[in-house]
Amino acid sequence: MQKKLLGNSYLLLVMILLYIPIIFLVVYSFNGGTIMSGWGGFSFVHYQELFADTRLLKILLDTFILAISSATIAAFIGTVGALFLDGIQNKKTLNTFLSFNNVLLVSPDVTIGVSFLILFTILGFSLGFVSVLVSHIAFSIPIVLLMVLPRLREMDNTLVMAARDLGAKRGTILSQIVIPEIWPSIMAGFLLALTYSLDDFAVTFFVTGNGFSTLSVEIYSRARQGVSLEINALSALMFAVSLLLVFTYYLYTTYADKKARLTK
Amino acid sequence: MDKKVLPVIEFKNVGLSFDNNTILKNVSFEIEAGQFYTLLGPSGSGKSTILNLISGQLSADAGEILFDGKVINNIPAESRRVNTVFQNYALFPNMTVFDNVAFGPKLKKLPKDTIKAKVREMLALVKLEAFENRAIQELSGGQKQRVAIARALANEPDVLLLDEPLSALDYKLRKQMQSELRAIQKRLGITFIFVTHDQEEALAMSDWIFIMNDGKIQQNGTPVDIYDEPINHFVADFIGESNIVNGVMKQDYLVNFVGKDFENLDAGMRPNEAVEVVLRPEDLDLVPIEQGKLVVTIADQSFRGDFYEITAIDDDGNEWKVQATNPSSVGARVGLDFGPEDIHVMRFNESEDDFDARIESYEGE
Repeated sequence: MQKKLLGNSYLLLVMILLYIPIIFLVVYSFNGGTIMSGWGGFSFVHYQELFADTRLLKILLDTFILAISSATIAAFIGTVGALFLDGIQNKKTLNTFLSFNNVLLVSPDVTIGVSFLILFTILGFSLGFVSVLVSHIAFSIPIVLLMVLPRLREMDNTLVMAARDLGAKRGTILSQIVIPEIWPSIMAGFLLALTYSLDDFAVTFFVTGNGFSTLSVEIYSRARQGVSLEINALSALMFAVSLLLVFTYYLYTTYADKKARLTK
Repeated sequence: MDKKVLPVIEFKNVGLSFDNNTILKNVSFEIEAGQFYTLLGPSGSGKSTILNLISGQLSADAGEILFDGKVINNIPAESRRVNTVFQNYALFPNMTVFDNVAFGPKLKKLPKDTIKAKVREMLALVKLEAFENRAIQELSGGQKQRVAIARALANEPDVLLLDEPLSALDYKLRKQMQSELRAIQKRLGITFIFVTHDQEEALAMSDWIFIMNDGKIQQNGTPVDIYDEPINHFVADFIGESNIVNGVMKQDYLVNFVGKDFENLDAGMRPNEAVEVVLRPEDLDLVPIEQGKLVVTIADQSFRGDFYEITAIDDDGNEWKVQATNPSSVGARVGLDFGPEDIHVMRFNESEDDFDARIESYEGE
């Protein structure tokens, strides 16, 4: 009993330590004053500032457009890749492909950012929305692949046999049997890619040029002149969005799990 | 079998192997339209492989597979006029019962009304009329089985393949599905090829049984033929209960085993040929010692509901399984009796053709 209490309080302490900065940030976004030190009463003034700051709002919009497009394209390419990998019978070949995939997952963002910068420079590609999009797609594909492939491997192969048996050709089997089976994993991969793209800083920082910026890069450049509480307000909003995404993801996976378990 | 009718399916010397493992060896047989066939054998005997070769999920390394007289080796699974009921049902989890059954007809681009009528007809056939809009997850094992049967039949196949479809059901449900499947087959008049490892199921349902072992057909025939005249040790042992002892065929209609000569009804073998002798437990009777052909001691007895299964040991140490309606007492010395018609003699390594020819030679007399 005492042991349990001790364990629980330890966990609570760790959670508090982890969340204190964020709570602090959110609380101070409602500060009437202009700096983090000193409380000037409760106010929405920084939120008003935020919504009047059209440059920041445009960047916010750009960030979301980027995240949604890169996650969508990555979900598509990653799923096709997973389907291809699932067709590989040779274990050695498969493991080679998977290792290459995993290397991309664990390699530091800075490495990916720099290598893309070098690639774009060599190709004479102008830096901007497209270069950022391409690099975001690139780091999202391994994520999607890692979500979709296990589901494909788990899939009951007799479903495909049954569909063929009933007269279905490859295209029909893919669209009516396989894709519906792995759809929850594709969605999970999409959502994960979305959050990775939303909060990416390192890769974007290297491959973005003049005229296009994402929130993390913008906040970074503003923070160098001292953090305005407007950034607090924005961060608080983004934190809320992240929470929402995590919650959606959780709901989606538990729903998918439940459905999958019922099927068996 | 009457050979005048054109077989619907014919295997000619079909062989298949995976990574140096021979799955099927030179298999040939014919399937006639409108009959209930069973492929019976232990797991790994090649029976499911034959089914997958017919459906087109596998392709043969050697030999020809004919359907309605045409070679179909290179015709893909989706274009063959056969459908399969899978062991694990393989129902599409993202579709309702209706959509599962309608899957085949929809692919044929039939008009909507025709599809609807077809699906309803099939669901009525398997007694699931009220289940159209159910999700697959809401069905019991037996109901899933019925949907799988309806789905396969909705495509109007010439031949329905059933891959151990009842093995996941409990005993009572299995019995019920056996008679329903048989009734459906009779009603539709199409060919059923049923795969099972359950010999009781095979005997109860089939018009014709193929017994498989080691990638080869060991024997084929009607259930009664196979039960009464098994060709070799494997078949005798696999079908029903049996007592198998070594013996010598002294001359036609006279066999020697456990040191005694017995009159029997088998012939056509070399004089003094070494043979195996089969005696079915239900053909053996326990009688007073002086009336028996052998003297045995009761070693074990267990009650099986409709009979007692008794193990008796003769003075040479051979074990005899006997099915008796009356109980005995363990340790008692009794006589074991059987008639000439209860003795079945098997030669070693006799081919099916030789076996059939030999039986014809003396039964035709």
